[in-house]
Amino acid sequence: MMEEQLAKKLNRQVVGSLVGCVHCGMCDQSCHYVLAFPDDPKMTPSYKADQVRKLFKANHDWTGSVFPWWVGADKAPLSDDDLETLKDMAFGTCTNCRRCTLSCPMGVDTATLNRIMRGLLSHVGVMPEGVRVVSKDQWELGNQMGVLKEDYLDTLEWMSEELEEDLGHAEATIPIEKKGAKIMYCINPREVKYDPRTIKEAALIFHAAGEDWTMPEEGWDNTNFGLFSGDDGLGGACAKREYEKARELGVDKVVISECGHGFRSTRFEGVNWAGEDEPVPMESSVMTMLNYIKEGKIKVDPTRNPEKMTFHDSCNNARSGGFYEEPRELLRLVSMDFQEMYPNRTEGFCCTGGGGAMSMSEYTPRRLQSAKIKADQIRATGAKVVVTSCHNCVDGLNDLIKHYELDCEVKQLVNLVANALVLDEIEKPEEEVHVPEEITVKPVVEGEPLAGRKILVVDDEEDVRTFLITVFEDAGAEVISASDGDQAVAMASEHQPDLISLDLSMPGKDGIETFVELRSTAETEEIPVCVVTGHPEFRQVIYDRPVPPPEGYLGKPVDEDKLVAYASHILEHRDEKAN
Amino acid sequence: MHEISPALHTAEIIHWIALTVMVVVYTLRIRWLLSFKLGKDKSAPGNPGQSNKTKGARHSLFNVAMPWSMESTRKPKGFVFYISFVLFHLGVVAGITLAFVSTVAPNFLAIPAVGWTMMFFIVAALLVSLYRIARRTLRPLMRLISTPDDYFSLIMLTVWFALGLVTQAYLMGIWGVTSQGIQIAYLYLTSFFLLYVPFSKISHYLYYPFTRIYIGRALGHRGSYPVARS
Repeated sequence: MMEEQLAKKLNRQVVGSLVGCVHCGMCDQSCHYVLAFPDDPKMTPSYKADQVRKLFKANHDWTGSVFPWWVGADKAPLSDDDLETLKDMAFGTCTNCRRCTLSCPMGVDTATLNRIMRGLLSHVGVMPEGVRVVSKDQWELGNQMGVLKEDYLDTLEWMSEELEEDLGHAEATIPIEKKGAKIMYCINPREVKYDPRTIKEAALIFHAAGEDWTMPEEGWDNTNFGLFSGDDGLGGACAKREYEKARELGVDKVVISECGHGFRSTRFEGVNWAGEDEPVPMESSVMTMLNYIKEGKIKVDPTRNPEKMTFHDSCNNARSGGFYEEPRELLRLVSMDFQEMYPNRTEGFCCTGGGGAMSMSEYTPRRLQSAKIKADQIRATGAKVVVTSCHNCVDGLNDLIKHYELDCEVKQLVNLVANALVLDEIEKPEEEVHVPEEITVKPVVEGEPLAGRKILVVDDEEDVRTFLITVFEDAGAEVISASDGDQAVAMASEHQPDLISLDLSMPGKDGIETFVELRSTAETEEIPVCVVTGHPEFRQVIYDRPVPPPEGYLGKPVDEDKLVAYASHILEHRDEKAN
Repeated sequence: MHEISPALHTAEIIHWIALTVMVVVYTLRIRWLLSFKLGKDKSAPGNPGQSNKTKGARHSLFNVAMPWSMESTRKPKGFVFYISFVLFHLGVVAGITLAFVSTVAPNFLAIPAVGWTMMFFIVAALLVSLYRIARRTLRPLMRLISTPDDYFSLIMLTVWFALGLVTQAYLMGIWGVTSQGIQIAYLYLTSFFLLYVPFSKISHYLYYPFTRIYIGRALGHRGSYPVARS
């Protein structure tokens, strides 16, 4: 099966890369895994690529057919152990960042060969569980995080309401499925699920620019797990959804939100996988925002972003998309203190969250070890903010910042542009009415939005528990707490809270088991759950369970405003459903 | 004046036959490579300001002469390897030149300036090949990725350089080397070398223009080639 599949993936460029390697070893120092594991020669890119090369030589190159041992040819792996070893190598020791490709004197595209190996393994059903689940979601639900259509639309509505509240009028709502709009804006499902703020910020920028834009009801996911799993069929199907929607709506342009692999997949690889021409021009939202500033459509005030910042290049944007100067240009326009990190642009190191690594929690310790080089790069800049144009990079960088205890945070350009945006409609009231900062920043204090609600806080760490209890109580809620899973299940049955705030990593019965039990028990199955965890790598695991997914998700450290806003939103949504 | 003995003449004929076989096999090899469908990128150029397939391909093809263009050859350790790469391949050119010219114009190679230049490159390549053998056998990483063909090709070239060195000494009339048998042995080894090359990793130079142009065009189209330095 693997041999047949390999034959389908061969073209002249791929064959060139398969026969061109001279085993010189020059690629080794380009790989963050080699640098992190110098004593493990199996991390070497050429060794990983040799796994495909062996198969190719045995089946397609006659020197390999006649003298297999002599030239290192080998038939398809036969045992399950062999396949598992290949799986760990292809998925767990390479993020397909393509850095080795640029370091090869022969021009061998090793990253492409690794993706081919992933594709062969996926074809025979051997892949990390996270990749399998996410691919399945993308096949079946049209997006990689299993976001239901109603949840997506509900989130857009929620963000529209917030925008309306911020601006004080209803002109800035998010247009949905607007035919004939100039721009169709596609996003990463992570934005819906974990960071809807970026949708609101983009909407604010479109509004400020007076743009005629829309978001589609379907075909809105710009991400594409086909790139990571090596499944060109999935890649083509995902891309087609967006292309067909763009044609259906008759838009002039597709704008892709800040997602590195989404940009690469939609803008470049998708047309090749789908076997069709570009439906309309497609560009990154970074280009859109930059052009708005250059054309005078929006005004920005860089003094609003005074912190020292550095920029991390997404591998897919820079190495595979030629897209590295524009983000810097935009960053310089909207911030005051930019510090380059080295190496950068096409030579930048991977954040280690690429290649789908964030959905493969089994490789997290190894991934974090390989992230040391990126952590050292960031630390050397002294920056307080790492800016990137990729959602995977946001997660990857957040992980390494936490792991290596760096004193900085991650932001995307959309955050900075929105923050720097000069809007007359909201600037003037600020000048005239001096609203105390506490009231504008923390509206929850005066409204007690959780008054009358009972919330169960589940966390094994006492200080975190105390923090959550305090925040919820300050917002007017009645709070009960549990420090482990068994206690949580018992208290949920007994007290029937309106919401459960659930930690995932706990000794004994962990949050995942607890969640499944809550969802599987008649007394507690309807209680909304908001996962609050410091382990983003677990989030996929919980969405993999055969029970309805949690109603919300928040990463630690938790912003108290965000926590209350999430809790309120979940409860309002539940009330609406109940009514 | 070097006489062409019947034995040398036979070696020369075999040498030319081997060259012909090599050319035929290479032709078949290129036909085989071209029998695979050329992958075409249907996407629009990545970055209007930077995207250029031709420029990318040109940069990629001449990458070999620009050690500053790749991190792997720019850094001090990599640059040393790059220098050794240059010497090794110039030594190969010198060795091939020696094989052909030694039968048709041996006196040319006896001219001191020419002879010592040849000698320099062959000796340098011999030293580099010895270093490469050590590198390939002592470094775990290199051992892991090496096939028997990798070892054999390198050892064969090392012996070839050594024999070429003595042959050059014979042609220059130095170091007391007077036996034409050395030159004959060198020609036979070169013949074997020419016959073996198309079936081994040594044929990488045949693929080099293809791989470099393909990756150069692909990344030039996207706008990431020529590489933007940090």
